[in-house]
Amino acid sequence: MAEIRGIKSGRVGEPPRDPAPRRLAAIVAGDIAGYSRLMQMDEEGTHSRVKRIERDLIEPSILEHHGRLVKTTGDGFIAIFDSPVEAVRCSIVIQQNLVGRNASLPRHSWIEYRIGVNLGDVIIETDDVYGDGVNVASRLEGIADPGQVYISGGIYEQIKHKLVCGYESLGDRKVKNITDPVRVYRVLPDPSAFHRNRKRRENILIFLLSLALLAIAGGVLWYMLIQPHGKMGDQASAPPSQAAPQSQPAPAAAPTQQQQAAPSPQPSPAAKQPSPLTQPASPAAPVIAPSIPAASVHEPEMITLRGGSFAMGSNEDNSEKPIHQVMIKPFAIGRFPISVREWNECAAAKACGFVATGKDDAPVTNVSWSDAKQYVAWLAQAARKAYRLATEAEWEYAARAGTQTKYWWGDQFQSGMANCKNCSDIPAAEQPTKVGSFKPNPFGLYDMGGGVDQWVEDCWHRNYQGAPADGSAWVESQCPSHVIRSGSWKNDARYARPSNRDSYDTEVRYPTHGFRVALSP
Amino acid sequence: MKFTQLVALSFALTCLSFSAYAQGKPAPKDAVLYFVWPQNGATIKGGFWCRFGLRNMGVTHAGDNYPNSGHHHLLIDVAESLDPNEPIAQDKSHVHFGAGQTEARIELPPGKHTLQLVLGDANHYPFNPPVVSDKITVTIR
Repeated sequence: MAEIRGIKSGRVGEPPRDPAPRRLAAIVAGDIAGYSRLMQMDEEGTHSRVKRIERDLIEPSILEHHGRLVKTTGDGFIAIFDSPVEAVRCSIVIQQNLVGRNASLPRHSWIEYRIGVNLGDVIIETDDVYGDGVNVASRLEGIADPGQVYISGGIYEQIKHKLVCGYESLGDRKVKNITDPVRVYRVLPDPSAFHRNRKRRENILIFLLSLALLAIAGGVLWYMLIQPHGKMGDQASAPPSQAAPQSQPAPAAAPTQQQQAAPSPQPSPAAKQPSPLTQPASPAAPVIAPSIPAASVHEPEMITLRGGSFAMGSNEDNSEKPIHQVMIKPFAIGRFPISVREWNECAAAKACGFVATGKDDAPVTNVSWSDAKQYVAWLAQAARKAYRLATEAEWEYAARAGTQTKYWWGDQFQSGMANCKNCSDIPAAEQPTKVGSFKPNPFGLYDMGGGVDQWVEDCWHRNYQGAPADGSAWVESQCPSHVIRSGSWKNDARYARPSNRDSYDTEVRYPTHGFRVALSP
Repeated sequence: MKFTQLVALSFALTCLSFSAYAQGKPAPKDAVLYFVWPQNGATIKGGFWCRFGLRNMGVTHAGDNYPNSGHHHLLIDVAESLDPNEPIAQDKSHVHFGAGQTEARIELPPGKHTLQLVLGDANHYPFNPPVVSDKITVTIR
């Protein structure tokens, strides 16, 4: 026995001649965006900062998540993990820590990493790792935006039901020197990361469309001078036809020929215009398709959402289980719940069952699910667009706005963020307050939680066992009760969570129940 | 001085009586709301059918304004007393039966729970005087 062992140990002493071991691993590739620029600006400072980040943040994070740092290059690193979940979790930790580190610095000296994660069969040596999988990871990192984590389809399949965060599909991408296109997903760990990225894309759109807006503003001003109706409302629910001239005073000299040009982009639902007018403070304002007065109907202000994958549900209540991944197609949703003014247009057209009382810009209440359906049917017909109620999945996707926390602003309740019982200083007697009185979520939507309960299209089901994963409404014919979301000003903070759900009889009106509309593209 | 006080008092009383009149439809004095099942102190395994009983009044849909009729509300583990001037709350512990249901499948986590029925009028306000059942306690195993 001792001899044999001796022989074996003698062998081990020799340099290993076996081929390098292959194994399946999650590869994380990261590099610094604009490294050369930073080095040019301050070579020694940048170098020592990067080294410090590697020492204090990247190495410990990788170890904590049971990974191995394979190598560091001047501006990047490559690490391998046994578990895809740990790999993505580690990447999110690194990105979120960097946001904190950069916060105190001026924009131009930020150190931002781009991170790509891929699952692949690779050859691992002590100080390096080789294979197709590594190349794909570094290509993913190459196409990622600074501060973002991009993952491949292989990783996504492994983690989608395990890691609670949002995923946005970017489709199949062709990457350099790799024959097959790679399915790419973007990880949405927190709302700020989401909005930063989105805003960048919006800027391009804003530039492209600012000219069109000017032309329309001229036409609209003319329209207003001819037909002065309504006050120049400061209410956010006022249709943009009234809001536009406020910030875009077009020369009144040449309105007539502009009026010819104005209507052409209007009827198209695809005509997206930036709206810095009504909500200048909103940081995350996504693409906005403002309502345009067609014949006489004032359409609600809508926000277009691109859709993507997200984890629906929570473990807070049995009705919200199980947490499941849902794919949302692009759609638009009302920025506010439907107001008394909007409802009464339908009532005036004899298409809705009753005339609502209360302030014009308060949300309409005391509507049953069937009442809400009547309104959307009338609106769709009057505006000739596919207006409808939101599905339950769409509602939660919009309410979460890329977040996976208990509330859209974090896990802790903060007073003044939502209109719920004992959540704000507004006296109960003045309820319900006008729409848009509280902060919008990162998608720019108001009152998604608190305010008024909101009907959605889905029939009530006790939990998500058997729920569809494609974002469609979960319905059977003639269901006795439908889902309400958001909680109202009479419910406490638990009801204002984006995942909270409740039900109510389809045909019954109740004083805290309202709704908002959605629009298929 | 005394005159103005009297005027103020009568004004206040008028307001009071008006507000009392505005909320809540009158209910017959002999109306009785009760649980057919479960009985107070019952021990139940799992989910159960809760059956509501009402004497000397009728059950109708919410929104229907017939005299001497209303719809059921089941209050689960509610400690606050009923506010006769507010609509009956709507949340997870105030279950509404606006379609005129007289029974419901109830599932509760194991432990002791209180149940109470309240009859609401067309606009979900309690009647005047309120038509409520005894508060019963059940134990779920």
